[in-house]
Amino acid sequence: MRTSNVTYLVKKGISSVWKNFLMSFASFSILMVSLLLVSCAMLLMMNVSKIMSNIEDTNEITIYLEENVTDQQVEHIKSVLEKNDDLTDVQYYSKEQALEDFRNDMAEYSELLDYLDENPMPESFLVRVKDLSKIRSVVNTINQIDGVEQTKAPYDFASVLIHIRNTFSLIGGAVLIALIVVSIVIVSNTIRTSVFARRNEINIMRYVGATSGFIKTPFFVEGMFIGIIAGAAAWGLTWLVYDSVFSLFSTDLTLWQMFGFYGLMPFEDIMWLVLAVNCVAGALLGAVGTVISTGKHIKV
Amino acid sequence: MVELKNVNVHYSSGVDALQDINLRINDGEFVFIVGGSGAGKSTLVKLLMREITPTTGRVFVNGKNLAKLKGNQVAKFRRSIGMVFQDFRLIQELNVYENVAFVLRIADQSTRFIKQRVPYVLNLVDLAHKARSKPKELSGGEQQRVAIARALANDPGLIIADEPTGNIDPRLSYEIVELLRDINRSAGTTIIMVTHEHDLVKHFGGRIINIDSGSITFDDIIGGSDEDE
Repeated sequence: MRTSNVTYLVKKGISSVWKNFLMSFASFSILMVSLLLVSCAMLLMMNVSKIMSNIEDTNEITIYLEENVTDQQVEHIKSVLEKNDDLTDVQYYSKEQALEDFRNDMAEYSELLDYLDENPMPESFLVRVKDLSKIRSVVNTINQIDGVEQTKAPYDFASVLIHIRNTFSLIGGAVLIALIVVSIVIVSNTIRTSVFARRNEINIMRYVGATSGFIKTPFFVEGMFIGIIAGAAAWGLTWLVYDSVFSLFSTDLTLWQMFGFYGLMPFEDIMWLVLAVNCVAGALLGAVGTVISTGKHIKV
Repeated sequence: MVELKNVNVHYSSGVDALQDINLRINDGEFVFIVGGSGAGKSTLVKLLMREITPTTGRVFVNGKNLAKLKGNQVAKFRRSIGMVFQDFRLIQELNVYENVAFVLRIADQSTRFIKQRVPYVLNLVDLAHKARSKPKELSGGEQQRVAIARALANDPGLIIADEPTGNIDPRLSYEIVELLRDINRSAGTTIIMVTHEHDLVKHFGGRIINIDSGSITFDDIIGGSDEDE
């Protein structure tokens, strides 16, 4: 198709938004709210993931070795741990290092340690789990290694975090699906109204030889245009909402830092990503709504 | 050339709209198809514009079997014919110029071509001076002339006019038929005009096909009273 005729169809689609103003506005509003919630959910998930990864980064398992473990056994345990894909940052602590660390941590009582006849600290390994959800199975594997006395792992903390993350994903997913369905239904209804308002014109177009693409393109433009504008508006609102939440969390974070939270991601770092996601999601919702409506109501 | 071979149209309601129609209309002919209400004229028009396909039999236009056209081929076929309707079927939001330009856009013509072609066809129907008017600002006769200009825009070899005088003043009806006859004579365009107005047909004469209860009951050439005048 010629560029001039494509331009004509695009103009026709956009002008239909104004002609059909009330329905277009209703669609725009619903889509905007949906996309606002979608982008808020997206930002929440991004921040929760960041917090999770902060926590996972400090998530350690301590592996205490048996009292009389030989150097060969230590080497063997080290190589087994290093080969385990679920683990990272394998660090060995000798009895001497452990005692030194203990002495530093308990500086006030360090003199008491001088009265000990022998070093009571066990040799140990400190490892990190890549995926918190696998912590139990990883610990079970480690416990079966010859020479391992016991392990210490933050099971409860891990299970709480996994639960929080799963709950967020579940609720977020459900809300997202509901919003997508509602948005598509609303856009589809707007386009149906537009099709109805232009039914005579569509009939005439059929009789004078318009192809299906020629008839449907303006409706696609209309649906996608509403979607993109709603996406951009939702992005602006998201920015406002996020900025006010951001300022709340940028004052005193001492308490939050205990939970691995070091502040929200600045909106400026992700603004273009959020804009792109909003506009693409808006255009897609508009397009899907149009496909449903034109497929049902325009027979060429 | 238009050809119908052993065409029957049976609607699901049980009505036999057309029965065993055999018809041939050569290029450059001007044909009146007449008949009363419910005779089968509209069904014939629907067949010729490929809105329906025959239950049995075949319909050929310019050598194409219309039943075999699929999807966008139907659209392409419709662009090769011109349609004129009783109710004009103009887009009320568009002005006269835009109504004609519209079909050229559908045919994917360039803006430059459209700017040359539209004034030309509006001139043929003597409406160049009303190019910026909206259809509702025009009389019935003028609206039908816009519809004829639109039908002419793609320079079709065949124009099907379905009761083109049905909605206009009887005095103007003669002007419309005269305009169609001029187009037929000057450009050699085949014209099939469906009408129930016997006075009009008697006045102009020519090849007359009468349909009654779905069958062709008369197909011959008669002299018109205008030739006697």
